[in-house]
Amino acid sequence: MRGPAWQHEGDDPDYRFTLANERTFLAWIRTALALLAGGVLLHQFAATLEPRVVLVSVSVALGLIAALLSVVSYTRWRANEIAIRRRRPLPYSWVLPALAGACLLTAAVLTFLLLVS
Amino acid sequence: MTAYRIPATGDPGLQPERTSLAWVRTSLAIAVNALLALRAGFVAGEPALLAVGALLFAAAGAAVAVGAVRRRQLMGETLTITPPRGVLVGVAVTTLVASAVGVASILVEGGR
Repeated sequence: MRGPAWQHEGDDPDYRFTLANERTFLAWIRTALALLAGGVLLHQFAATLEPRVVLVSVSVALGLIAALLSVVSYTRWRANEIAIRRRRPLPYSWVLPALAGACLLTAAVLTFLLLVS
Repeated sequence: MTAYRIPATGDPGLQPERTSLAWVRTSLAIAVNALLALRAGFVAGEPALLAVGALLFAAAGAAVAVGAVRRRQLMGETLTITPPRGVLVGVAVTTLVASAVGVASILVEGGR
């Protein structure tokens, strides 16, 4: 059973780090699934919020962010795994500030909709 | 390469247990999305959404199975650290497909 080539590079890491990396991947996946569920729920249950086009846009944006996060979660897991094997520093990620910004924007737009509706 | 294995060390940080629990939580999150897709499918009368809901339920079941495998791999005398092959990609692709269908269902509904 052969894994991908990068799994033969460097040293087998401290198991705690690689297990933590697996958990981090799963946490990002759950974040993506939660955003997706939030978008679908918003679209299905917030029937009275107006204007409808803004609500649909927010729902679609949440779904798109979920799609992006599902890809990023895997590429980040892989990059971290390689960095750990080669004893390099973990790559910096723009994902955290971007995700926080997206959550802030979503909250602001939804609060505004709730106020004006 | 054989899978990376080490003797169990009795890690006080309980990392193996936390990792198998993380799999359980993830399968629950997939199941919630399966329920949402099924509900949306019934409400909108979209057979495609019903199919995706069923697929997501299957994926949640698969994630439970992976969690069980991981639990066995991480609880014994030796720990198998390497995750089962293709499993992480599979979870990521499942989430990606679910997101794409979710967005599509919103756009279809919004176009009416």
